[in-house]
Amino acid sequence: MKTVITSTDKSLLNIPELKRYGGLFRYLSLRDVSVRYKQTKMGFAWSIIRPVINIFIFGILRYLVDRSSGFVESFVAVSSGIVFWQLLSTTITDVSNSLSTNANILTKVYFPKLILPLSSLLVCLVDFLIAFIIFLILFFSFKGLPPWQIIFLPMVVTYGVILCFGIGLLSATASVKFRDVKFILPFFIQILFYASPIFLSSEFILSMNIPAWIKVLYQLNPFVFIINAFKFCFYGTFENYNVTYAMVSAVITLFVLIFSVKYFLNFEKSFTDYI
Amino acid sequence: MSEAAIKVENIGKKYNISHRSRRTNDSLLSALGDGVKNILNRTGSRTSVEEFWALKDVSFIINKGDRVGIIGRNGAGKSTLLKILSGIVKPTSGRIEYDGKMASLLEVGTGFHGDLSGRENIYLNGSILGMSKKEITARFDEIVSFSEVEQFIDTPVKRYSSGMYVKLAFSVAAHMSPDILILDEVLAVGDAAFQKKCITKMNELSTSYGRTVLFVSHNMNTIRSMCTSALYLEKGNVAATGALDKVITQYQNYFKENISKGISVGIKHLSNSGEWEINTDAQVTVSWEKYRFKPGWHCDIACYSFDGIKLFALQSHSFPNFSSLDPEANAITFTIKNIGFSNSELRMDVGIRDCVDEPYSIVVENCAILSPSDKGLPQYARQDVLVVPETTCKANKYE
Repeated sequence: MKTVITSTDKSLLNIPELKRYGGLFRYLSLRDVSVRYKQTKMGFAWSIIRPVINIFIFGILRYLVDRSSGFVESFVAVSSGIVFWQLLSTTITDVSNSLSTNANILTKVYFPKLILPLSSLLVCLVDFLIAFIIFLILFFSFKGLPPWQIIFLPMVVTYGVILCFGIGLLSATASVKFRDVKFILPFFIQILFYASPIFLSSEFILSMNIPAWIKVLYQLNPFVFIINAFKFCFYGTFENYNVTYAMVSAVITLFVLIFSVKYFLNFEKSFTDYI
Repeated sequence: MSEAAIKVENIGKKYNISHRSRRTNDSLLSALGDGVKNILNRTGSRTSVEEFWALKDVSFIINKGDRVGIIGRNGAGKSTLLKILSGIVKPTSGRIEYDGKMASLLEVGTGFHGDLSGRENIYLNGSILGMSKKEITARFDEIVSFSEVEQFIDTPVKRYSSGMYVKLAFSVAAHMSPDILILDEVLAVGDAAFQKKCITKMNELSTSYGRTVLFVSHNMNTIRSMCTSALYLEKGNVAATGALDKVITQYQNYFKENISKGISVGIKHLSNSGEWEINTDAQVTVSWEKYRFKPGWHCDIACYSFDGIKLFALQSHSFPNFSSLDPEANAITFTIKNIGFSNSELRMDVGIRDCVDEPYSIVVENCAILSPSDKGLPQYARQDVLVVPETTCKANKYE
């Protein structure tokens, strides 16, 4: 087995190499899963408590802002979006931090660096899955049988996670050189939250008395389609469905994914010079 | 004709060091202004960038089964070279080719996580070092028994003492089995007994079945005992390469001739053979330009083993007959008797001050090397000790 290192080396998406480091991927993920709630009294309950608190806060907010639905319905309406958003936002943050939190390993050992964001992603998914299964049981025992549209759920989750992974990877790469990203990211996520139909429905926003260009901008947000698609799996109706904006969302997602992976690989070999 | 395991051609590594002009921001507003200017004007004149070549035009070939010691002063580029070889840092120029599986050990306990148990950390650290789960499982018991922490293997490592921690970390590393092994000076960890165990283990690792080893160390004795040849780096260049003795001698000459900060240190052995044998004297003369220090100056020297253990220090002001009141005096000579240092080099620091109560006006670290000879060393002395006291020994009947 010959290995050549030159100054002009470019990383490529080397799947066989990634596979060879499968063990490392497994143990890094295992580490993060088992460490996440170490030394907490509540342990994994936290992955359920956090969305519950958010549902409570934003259920009340929604009731105050949008009086078209009753008090209890407000909570039901925000719950699914909040649970999903929990996954999306932690994916963005954790993937984005994956390089800097593992800087000590990066600078001492060689391995394909893509393993780090990938294992963060896995950890977010595991965390989500536990909370989500409990949520599903609670939700449908309260609301009755789920609609047939629930079968789209895995697809929608995958779709959302891909976009968030792309965003996270982009900011992870950029933050190696520019730590500014770490400070901007929370605001970015906060803006995304309010610009997505999580606690206020698309219908409510689009019926508001605001300039038309804001409404266009709002619908260009790929998360609007993703969150509405998620709600579609729960409530059976697709709010504000529009083929053009669905396509826009898909194109943005694909672009972000390809661009972020390319940017990451281009820059991978110089991480250790900056981190 | 032996086969090349590693071929290094014209490797260079450049770093850009930016110097910022030192105008302090006197107000928050001006600091903010500068921040904005930095963003708008990327070629801002406030920072100047200097190129620094940590390595330049380094070429060498290492044959299969060679055990090469890499030596050189701090900042000579040893660690950078190892990092480039192991693929962690990308070279700015040049090309490297190697054959086989490579593993590098630049730090003990990479990726250890305090909240995980010893057992979990063995698997995590092992996989970081490139071992497969099968390999780790197969060697698990060996690793645990080597580490001497069996009892606490299921305790989170943050509860470990620092000694236990490094012992466990070293044990994982010591059980790797690559074709090419890259070692930075990380081996000797833990207490003295464990250090000895580490060195024996590293010896075993590097000498067993023709493995190629690159090993960075400041300890010439370890290099002598572990390596077959040496590579001497000096300011990012290869200063010498080849036979162990030749390269090490050249490296040590660098210290002997070294005049830094205007202080020169000369060493003369007073024995007939010219070596600093046991019970003979060595003269250490520290000299400088005339009138540099005020009459009444004092000079101290301290000698360390290469592991950094201070062996002895001499202070001119505590010698009863010493006087430096002659304004023409610009040198001091210490005559030191070899009381049985075994064959290990001692490095020397020198400090000079104008007056006993003042701090040193000048300190030169690593300014010279004393090389005690092992000739005349008693038979009973082991090679890995530093000082040999005179001893007698006899079997007794004890009632």
